[in-house]
Amino acid sequence: MIWMLVILLLIAVAGLVWLWRARVRLLLENQATSEELKRMQTTQSQVIHTNKLASLGQMVAGVTHEINTPLGFLRSNAQVVTELLDEHTQIVGKVASALHKFDQVDLAQPKAQEALKRLLPKMQAALGNDERIAESRALLNDALEGVDQISSLVKNLKGFARVDRDGQELWNVNEGIESALMIANHQMKDRIEVVKNLESVPLVRVMPSQINQVFLNLITNAAQAMHERGTLTVSSRRNGETVEIEFSDTGSGIPSAVLPKIFDPFFTTKPVGEGTGLGLSIVHKILTSHQGHIKVDSTPGHGTRFTVSLPVDHAALKSHSVMPREPA
Amino acid sequence: MAEKIRILCIDDEARILRALKALFREHEVHTTSDPKLALLWAKSKDIDVVVCDQRMPQMLGVELLREIKRVQPRAMRLLLTGYSDLNAVLASVNESEVYRFINKPWDNTELRNLIAQAASIARDVPILPIAPISESEKEQARRTASVLVIEDDPDTQNRLREILGSHYTVRFANNAERAMQLLEQHETGVVISEAETSAGDWTTLIKLLKQYHPQIPTVVITDRANAQLAIDLINEGQVYRMLIKPVRMGTCRLSVESAIGHYWQLKQNPQALRRFSVSPAKNSGGLLPAWLSGGLLERIKKLPRRLLGSMA
Repeated sequence: MIWMLVILLLIAVAGLVWLWRARVRLLLENQATSEELKRMQTTQSQVIHTNKLASLGQMVAGVTHEINTPLGFLRSNAQVVTELLDEHTQIVGKVASALHKFDQVDLAQPKAQEALKRLLPKMQAALGNDERIAESRALLNDALEGVDQISSLVKNLKGFARVDRDGQELWNVNEGIESALMIANHQMKDRIEVVKNLESVPLVRVMPSQINQVFLNLITNAAQAMHERGTLTVSSRRNGETVEIEFSDTGSGIPSAVLPKIFDPFFTTKPVGEGTGLGLSIVHKILTSHQGHIKVDSTPGHGTRFTVSLPVDHAALKSHSVMPREPA
Repeated sequence: MAEKIRILCIDDEARILRALKALFREHEVHTTSDPKLALLWAKSKDIDVVVCDQRMPQMLGVELLREIKRVQPRAMRLLLTGYSDLNAVLASVNESEVYRFINKPWDNTELRNLIAQAASIARDVPILPIAPISESEKEQARRTASVLVIEDDPDTQNRLREILGSHYTVRFANNAERAMQLLEQHETGVVISEAETSAGDWTTLIKLLKQYHPQIPTVVITDRANAQLAIDLINEGQVYRMLIKPVRMGTCRLSVESAIGHYWQLKQNPQALRRFSVSPAKNSGGLLPAWLSGGLLERIKKLPRRLLGSMA
């Protein structure tokens, strides 16, 4: 009997050891899985971050162009106005020294009076009708407008990058569309016509910097799909419980065989080195994390339409019903 | 200049146009945002200098300048731009052969000097014949002048030998010393060069060569291109063509053929030389790369006259 007990005991011990090992293995595996998960999450956020940096680079290029133009006439005008004022000062100086001469003669003399009569209209014309003053005023007016132009660019830029905040906010998508279009402007300006059909839409609760990234990615894709000239139509509207934003281009379109794959990570039709194949997968990922959706329709040879939808924020809806569109 | 310079400015920003008009108030300035009107005026107003923005909604600056070159060939063409991508700069070299590239914001004194210089060239310096040289002249040019390739990558050397070898006498140099020797010994009609290699920056050599010997056109073939490098090569080196690696047979042949034709035309019409000249860059004053210190600059200045045709 005893040996049977011993055997049972041994079996039990072996069982326990096995169980223990299995548990350790499971624990280890579990740990590996969670590490893997963590790694994947990090990679994913790195990818989003890299894409954000790429859009920042794009932004710098765009804004450089937009700012250098007003800077060009600002700098030139400041210098030209200085020159014009110098010239005007010289004229004032001449008039002053001519007047000074009359100070030394007896004005009761008819000769002096005659000379004064002759000179006065000339002086008046030189001082009163100097076109340099009108010209300076026009140039300064342009300069002021240039400063406003730069200020609004900087404001747009801050709004786009959200450098000072990062979190969920109640936000008007039209604002994001305007700033993304401004940033992509230099890629389109010379060949693509942009048509905006932006309706008054309710606010959404989103991370604006991420949704801006979505808009910029879609606009950039559209611009690249139109090799020559084309039209990009951007529309926003309310559709039931969602806000819909539509980007529709007249570009090369996407073949139907390719269409189901376009949101897959690393899928790209661009030559090596030109695209990461991550743009649309990031767009998809960002929208999913916002409980949003993206839909695509494409006709090869005619163009592509991407429709983004984001849920309306109900709390905001109650207090504000509908937000008017903010001016650009 | 006693007579007023006739300047044509094209930009889609009205305020830039007003600024330029005020800046050149002593001259005859025509401004427009409409490329079609600009093209019409270039001829009808007998324009001396064209200042054009690169990016406009209707037509690219380089496209417009290419057309203006056709209708008013004696006018000097300048691009005024706020931001340039590489393709636009390359097109401005290869298609519209711009005289200078100016960045916004510009410096008024520099721009005034540049326009005065361009206007004096436009009025006093004759243009090269518009028709390309004849087949027999081409043949003669090929026999007389050789192609110098400055390149240290053996693959590119082989590729160029393959593309050009059967048509031209092609000589290779993989350092500045060898390049100078070849320039001193043979009449050179075209210099093909990489811009930057592991061995160093070739652009200084290209620019210096142009300063002292503007009759030799340079074709830069590079894989390290960026817009600023290209702009510098235009402004300080009047680069004739700029190609991006990998070297394509068709474009490469066309470019070299056109370059040697250009050389030949200049040889027959040395009075047109000033159109293609550059003045020493002000910032390259004392600081020359080490490889240039060994008397190379002096050698560049003193290239034998007999190799430079009638124009040295």
